[in-house]
Amino acid sequence: MALLDIKNLTLEIDGTNGWIKALDKINLTIDSGEIRALVGESGSGKSLIVRAISGALPSNWRITADRMTWKNIDLLSMNDEERRKIMRNEIAVVFQNPLKSLDPSATLEEQLLESIPGNLLDKGYFWQRAQQRRVIAAKLLHKVGIKDHKRCLKSYPHQVPDDICQKFMIATALAPNPELIIADDPTRGMEITTKAQILRLLTRLNKTKDLSILFVGHDLLAISSMATSMTVLYCGQTVESGPMDKVRKRPLHPYTKALLDSAPSFRKDLPPKSPLSSLEGTIPSLQHLPIGCRLGPRCPRAQKECVKAPEPRRIHQHYYSCHFPLHREKR
Amino acid sequence: MSPLLSVEDVSFTHIVENGWFQRPRKFVLSPVTFELNAGETMAIIGENGSGKSILAKLLVGAETPTSGAIYLNGQKLKYNNIKQRCLNIRMVFQHSNESLNPGITLGTILDEPLKLNTQLSPEERQEKVEQTLRLVGMLPEHQYFYRHMLSDGQKQRIAIARALILNPQIIVADEPFAALDPSVRSQTVNLIMKLQRDLGLGFIFISHNLGIVRHISDRILVMQEGNVVESGKTDVIFNWPKSEYTEKLVQSHQAMLSKN
Ligand SMILES: Nc1ncnc2c1ncn2[C@@H]1O[C@H](COP(=O)(O)OP(=O)(O)O)[C@@H](O)[C@H]1O
Ligand code: SF4
Ligand SMILES: [Mg+2]
Repeated sequence: MALLDIKNLTLEIDGTNGWIKALDKINLTIDSGEIRALVGESGSGKSLIVRAISGALPSNWRITADRMTWKNIDLLSMNDEERRKIMRNEIAVVFQNPLKSLDPSATLEEQLLESIPGNLLDKGYFWQRAQQRRVIAAKLLHKVGIKDHKRCLKSYPHQVPDDICQKFMIATALAPNPELIIADDPTRGMEITTKAQILRLLTRLNKTKDLSILFVGHDLLAISSMATSMTVLYCGQTVESGPMDKVRKRPLHPYTKALLDSAPSFRKDLPPKSPLSSLEGTIPSLQHLPIGCRLGPRCPRAQKECVKAPEPRRIHQHYYSCHFPLHREKR
Repeated sequence: MSPLLSVEDVSFTHIVENGWFQRPRKFVLSPVTFELNAGETMAIIGENGSGKSILAKLLVGAETPTSGAIYLNGQKLKYNNIKQRCLNIRMVFQHSNESLNPGITLGTILDEPLKLNTQLSPEERQEKVEQTLRLVGMLPEHQYFYRHMLSDGQKQRIAIARALILNPQIIVADEPFAALDPSVRSQTVNLIMKLQRDLGLGFIFISHNLGIVRHISDRILVMQEGNVVESGKTDVIFNWPKSEYTEKLVQSHQAMLSKN
């Protein structure tokens, strides 16, 4: 069953020359127990999707969707209090840049204790409850692989190294026992061994606690080593989605193919120092969006038809939006 | 023939203020020795705080080593001769965004090192700026642009252009690809490899991206806690790592790969 089900999510931002579709008919589902990767370059709208899910959008933006449900409950028609409750207890978000999302003036202990909800504690006197909180906090830190919890809890955010900080953020997110964790680029800039640790941690949580994960980022190697399915985003449009192995082995959308080819690790046949394949140019800004398929100006397969936005099509569980997908010969 | 760059027993000591360890701590970079030939690429890998960036700064002369010597084409570099260093070994910084002055045009940014370090006339400098912009795949018009008008990839190109404009023999870069998106990253990697082929440039870079390290480097230096734990040919390091630490790094990378 889909935990989170989003169909045709469109987000419009008030630009100087009228409304701009920052997100254009986004489709995204997360099944229970699934690790889904949301992949795209900076500015493709990944963080906007995360904000739209968590309800943290400015009130003057226009958000519409054919469907946007959490466990079959409509998120968009819900009042703020109900929405906050879900975001507090059922969906947890780990943001990119942990340092920015922590309070620099409070110790990590204060911040972690605060994120443990009261309903997880037994009844008792307040000092007993405070003690229980501390026990839970220590357990949470051990769970994410922080062994020296005492030293960690005493520290202020700027005093701990990046990787501990990121693990700490995950611990905070786990505190209320959520069903879904959304991790927005959690391994950005990390060295490989630390990154491997964080990925193992998330994979383990997924297996042992049946935690669903939305893993956001563009580190394809990391993503494909852990995710079970993947949704690819370009410029605010979902271009392809499906089971990880299908999309990896047989991408149908030119953008997905370009993205996969850009990682030298995936190309075992690639001679050392040979040029890497890459699309020309860069992702356009919101002020200069092409009409129709937004990849058009950079797409090696583009033709006249591409000025009309392609409708999503599918083969089994594999969805793609392209007039000239890779399984068909270019005319 | 002497190698392009030869680093002999270069070491460095300084005191770091470090909250996590509560007390200030002494950072010691143990003597480093290596050689680099023209057109070659060397990658420096290792954990954060292991001394990679310090080593890069020592190479470009932004820090002075406690001991040891650096030779360029067999000639010893003197620490008071910053000019000679600046001209021949240039640095591309980690965050090109922060290292490009937002208030002046790209043309001025590129012109500054020429003004400071060469005797060229204004016309010659103008010519050189345009030529360098073309070299990194940008247009002469871009000299009238400001930083905020560029994409991440273009900023990285300008950072490389600024390093190239004095015709250096070696470029040292600290995490040049980390902030870049996949397609821009490939474009930048391709640009650097092309410049090496065309100009015989030596390239030394720090990176966590072992996929790229493996693809473009000839040699690797592995660092841990201020020590070079291992160095050698890229192939050898990946296939027959000697130290436990290198093995762990390579395994982490292979583990991600093998799940595919
Ligand atoms: N507060 C905002 N106001 C206007 N535009 C924004 C705002 N936040 C993000 N954007 C734009 O929306 C697009 C998608 O951004 P984002 O979701 O942050 O991308 P990603 O997370 O994939 O890097 C970008 O073009 C960005 O400039
Ligand atoms: S619809 Fe056209 S422009 Fe878009 S990806 Fe497909 S071929 Fe390329
Ligand atoms: Mg983002």
